[in-house]
Amino acid sequence: MECYSEQTCALAVDGELAADEAQRLRDHLATCRRCRELVDALRAENHVLSESLHELPEEAASPEGFFHRRRSWVWGDLAVMASVLALGSISSIWFNDLNIPAALEWFNPFSASGRTNLIFSLFDHFASGGTAMLTDYAAVVGFLSLLLLVGGIALLLGRGRLRQPGLRLLIVLLALSLPSFALEKRHGEFVTVAANETVDDTLVAAGNTVRMDGVVNGDLLAFGRTVEVRGTVKGDLLSFAKRTVVSGNVEGRIYTFSESLDLDGQLAHSLYGFAQSLRVNDRGHVGEGVVAAAGDFSLEGEVKRSVDLLTSGNADVSGSIGRDLTTSGVSLTLTNTARVGGNLSARVRQLKDVHIADGATIAGKRDIQVHVRKSQFTRPRFYFHQAVWFAAAMLVGWLGLLLFPGFFRATTQAVGSGWLSLALGVGILAGVPVALIVIAITLIGLPISLMLFAVYLAALYLAKIWVGAFLGRLLLKPSGATKGDWMLGLLVGLLILTIVGFIPYLGGLVRLGVVCLGLGAFAGQLYRASRPVITA
Amino acid sequence: MDAKRNMAKEPQPREGGTRQMEGLGLESVIERAQAHDAEALGEIYRRYVRRVFGLCRYMLNSREGAEDATGEVFLKLQRSIESYDGSIPFPRWLLRVAGNQCIDTLRRRQRGLKVFAEVEDGAAVLEAASSEPSPLGAVISTQERSQVRDTIARLPENYRVPLLLRYYGDLSYDEIAHELGVEKNYVAALIFRAKQELRRRLAPRSK
Repeated sequence: MECYSEQTCALAVDGELAADEAQRLRDHLATCRRCRELVDALRAENHVLSESLHELPEEAASPEGFFHRRRSWVWGDLAVMASVLALGSISSIWFNDLNIPAALEWFNPFSASGRTNLIFSLFDHFASGGTAMLTDYAAVVGFLSLLLLVGGIALLLGRGRLRQPGLRLLIVLLALSLPSFALEKRHGEFVTVAANETVDDTLVAAGNTVRMDGVVNGDLLAFGRTVEVRGTVKGDLLSFAKRTVVSGNVEGRIYTFSESLDLDGQLAHSLYGFAQSLRVNDRGHVGEGVVAAAGDFSLEGEVKRSVDLLTSGNADVSGSIGRDLTTSGVSLTLTNTARVGGNLSARVRQLKDVHIADGATIAGKRDIQVHVRKSQFTRPRFYFHQAVWFAAAMLVGWLGLLLFPGFFRATTQAVGSGWLSLALGVGILAGVPVALIVIAITLIGLPISLMLFAVYLAALYLAKIWVGAFLGRLLLKPSGATKGDWMLGLLVGLLILTIVGFIPYLGGLVRLGVVCLGLGAFAGQLYRASRPVITA
Repeated sequence: MDAKRNMAKEPQPREGGTRQMEGLGLESVIERAQAHDAEALGEIYRRYVRRVFGLCRYMLNSREGAEDATGEVFLKLQRSIESYDGSIPFPRWLLRVAGNQCIDTLRRRQRGLKVFAEVEDGAAVLEAASSEPSPLGAVISTQERSQVRDTIARLPENYRVPLLLRYYGDLSYDEIAHELGVEKNYVAALIFRAKQELRRRLAPRSK
């Protein structure tokens, strides 16, 4: 009888041969020495393979070792984070003090436009490296990042004059994010809606490139490096992209968070944008208004109603605006073809940065203010704010003492563990947001994450109270421990912290240190309090 | 003598962990874990984290990746353990889950490239492979185990993964085929070629 091939023998050794064939092979082995040797050798080989593999690599030698390494990895990471934080805070002071040429302003991570740029670059990096990683969680994570960003934007907007539209935007986005789970979703490198295709629902598209040539009857929520809308969106367009180009029709509103937005097509309602560069080109038409925070803004087309802008660079208008133009930024240019149907109000740093061509038409009033940053110490409002802040902190401290006397005092004393608290605090400061995102996308879900976030914010606020109380007691060394003694200590401590906090350079670092110390003490005390008490 | 008797009584004494769980048989631990008993899940973790980590470590070729994957496997276990029905031994089931996790990770690393989905005719591959001369087990069995391990770690992914699932995870060809989403024939071919490649790399340089 003919001998069996090596593959058949290998299959037999692995127990993968059909029963009848295996029997035939066994019969053959009884008579054939060559095949028997082959099977034995293969069996020995399998044995060596499993044995070698089951001797684990050194680092997996024991679960203890595994944990140990894991911990050291965490500490290493914490150290890196801490140094990044420290370096960041130092360099931010230094950076803010430098006079950076306007052309390089976009590159400065501590300016508004630099920040937007950084956020988009980060998001882009995140998206391109991680689209695949996040297939299932993409929508959730996308919305989380969106919410975080919206929070940041609200802060940015809150500082300027666009508080109301900003809040409106925030609320609309929050509302939008809620029903996100019953939508049509498409993921992939390259997500397209073909020219002859119609999507009846709201479409969530995430990909490197999202190109929409067809019709979306609901809203289009697009996440990607490049988002191109060449077809028709019957609802709203929400784009979160490095580059967004709208050359088709959007019959609702556009909400965009993009590094650049180009509107070449028709937009029936308003445009709300947060972008490094926002352009309404000559074929672009906005049926209502524009509310935007942008690095640079250029308008060549037409906006039927008002334009409200917060720019960190230039605003160029050569098209037409039906109503008011309100802008706050570095420079403003209106060319000969520019038309403003209402008032022009601009806030700039220097008057020479406003260029209004003679041919430009402005129907209403011109109100151009030069906004010089005065030192905050010269404004009475500053002292008023500080007094309110101080009173609030004292009140919170008093409430803490009243409601949780033991915990409050123990936490204050825990501040005294110094470096330990500081290190723990740095870790928590940086780690908790990450942990919150992880919690939000994994098992326990969003509500817990949000609650924890509230605790985190509260702890951030309380940190200075604990450190203040500790500092006060350290200096006063009161003999008693009555509520009065504690409050006096808190008063002195907070006063010192507040004053030190305003010292240039040092102040920022001190504030950061205080937050870390307080957070660390809080976390340490929380941990101790949650453990069972051994002795009464 | 005493020692011998103890050995016979206690199958595998383990260090650390919760005391009351330690004595329990695997079945009851699993039952408890399926009822969402956190301690039982912890016990399963303690017993199998090494093996799971080992598989992930080999498959992903990165310690950090393996740690993440291991964490993920045990995190998902809280839910997925409900689907364990006892039809195959638990360790094999768990390693299958872990293998699945690693395959997902590998696929994601390739960013959409389907590592194992090449449609090849398994039988044809086997034919092609069979014409190569092979030095057989004699070579491989004389090697240092660490050397074997290192060589396996350096094998290309499509060879390494099925080899590991078979000889570390003890999965059958059918199970591997299911995990990788390919034909059983193709798995056989991959494992066969993986071994040949291994032999080739381990063979002493004939210079």
